[in-house]
Amino acid sequence: MDFLLLLVSTGLVSGAAYGLIAMGFALVYKSTGVVNFAQGELVMLTAYIAFSLSNTFHLSFFPLILVTIPVSMLIGLTLERIFIRPMLGEPVFAIVMVTVGLAVILRGVTIMIWGSEPFNFTAGLSNDVIQVAGVPFYPAQLYLIGALAVVSLLAWLFLRFTRMGIAMRAVAANETAALLVGVSVSRIHAFAWMLSAGIAAIAGILFAANFKLVPDLWFQGLKSFPAVILGGMDSVIGAAVGGLAIGVIENLAQGYVGQGLREISGFVVIIIVLMVRPYGLFGNREIERV
Amino acid sequence: MLALNNVQVLYDRAIEAVRDVSLEVPAGAMVALLGSNGAGKSTILKAISGVLYQEDGEIVSGSIQLEGSAISGLSPRAIVQRGLLQVPEGRALFATLTVEENLVMGGVTRTRSETKEGLERVYELFPRVRERRAQIAGYLSGGEQQMVAIGRALMGKPRMLMLDEPSLGLAPQVVDAIFEAILGLNREAGVTVLLVEQNAQLALQVASYGYIIENGRIVLDGPAEKLRSNDDVQEFYLGFSGGERRSMRDVKHYKRRKRWLS
Repeated sequence: MDFLLLLVSTGLVSGAAYGLIAMGFALVYKSTGVVNFAQGELVMLTAYIAFSLSNTFHLSFFPLILVTIPVSMLIGLTLERIFIRPMLGEPVFAIVMVTVGLAVILRGVTIMIWGSEPFNFTAGLSNDVIQVAGVPFYPAQLYLIGALAVVSLLAWLFLRFTRMGIAMRAVAANETAALLVGVSVSRIHAFAWMLSAGIAAIAGILFAANFKLVPDLWFQGLKSFPAVILGGMDSVIGAAVGGLAIGVIENLAQGYVGQGLREISGFVVIIIVLMVRPYGLFGNREIERV
Repeated sequence: MLALNNVQVLYDRAIEAVRDVSLEVPAGAMVALLGSNGAGKSTILKAISGVLYQEDGEIVSGSIQLEGSAISGLSPRAIVQRGLLQVPEGRALFATLTVEENLVMGGVTRTRSETKEGLERVYELFPRVRERRAQIAGYLSGGEQQMVAIGRALMGKPRMLMLDEPSLGLAPQVVDAIFEAILGLNREAGVTVLLVEQNAQLALQVASYGYIIENGRIVLDGPAEKLRSNDDVQEFYLGFSGGERRSMRDVKHYKRRKRWLS
């Protein structure tokens, strides 16, 4: 029983990281129809930027988050402007290939600047173990789960109640109609990139604080993919829930079956989901009246 | 209010969808643009609203003027802000949003207080829409969807409204209700209307002037009552056949005449 509890709780922690990264994917996909393969690289890049910021200014956790998020939003905005905006009107596949290229560039740039050696990055968090319901957690782990909860709540409120959020869903539902009522679709696209870069920063800092700061961080992007598929590509909240589920599934697979299964269990879930519910658990089934 | 001058539209830089189309919609008027499937009606509306680029379409020559100033080349948002709104073909609601969210999006170029007032006005015009305000728009009936689509456009405070086949796929009773609302907007609220229709019978009853488009060209235009009494229009758009069935020979005869018309 204790073993199960431990597996589930650590699963929730890595799942929270998947969830945050997956939300970034979903946000961009929802409003632009593009799968941003550079999301993992954004997570990595922003983690390194936070690392440098924290070394230079000796910030504690919350100031560090507050400084890093705007910086990464600016990066997201800039990347969209330079690489994605000129592709407007091109086939989606071409844009997706641009994000793949962008991913490689970001990886290279990161290694060029910071090198490929791992760093210890605490993000201003302590290492004192905290007991929650008899299960030991590091503060960084709890912050990660907490961050997922807060970001999900904010995303939900944003998409449901603000004009910008509703406009984002409107663009996802019918881009032409959105243009015809006067929604500036290109601004919505830019905004989606900005927000998802902001979320990437939170994911990056906390992931690095939980594990280590290594260039391999980008790989978490691909590993979050099952979460996006499970939640439904166009559901931001679904991505968060999907992340938690994938984290737990991976841990259980590793704990009860074997180490090797951890890496593939997420992708097994993808295959099953795509066969049974191709639009994911929370995604929009195309509404069609006959 | 709106004037098109020799507008030519190409898709993919090769396929000519609209050629030398000139038409004029005077302020306060209701003008009908009639034609069959694929004649180029929707292309014209898309060209006016500035959304052709989405389908790789382009206005290659001619000009579109709203109240004397050119609007071709402006962003769709800028055109909406000038008070020219379109109710697209097939309703094109935001299917996954609620009815009220759809309406709120219609007011996206307006201030918050204007949006609030607008909601009240739309609910007054279509009480059915008020009842459905919290429902997901995609699940409404066709008639209700059309009401929401018109309501959504009204939220943008249009001085001119372009309706793309508002009667499409609706039951006759529902069509009557929709057209009554459109007439009301035109006569009482003074909204200029460009009505695109396949249903010529209906359109020529409410409009004061009509244009008939075929294969991307305007082939005939005139005051509505004159068009109604035109033999060709009666035969091919209004469905009067003079009592007996026409043979193919007469159709060929029409084809010859059509060349003369264009």
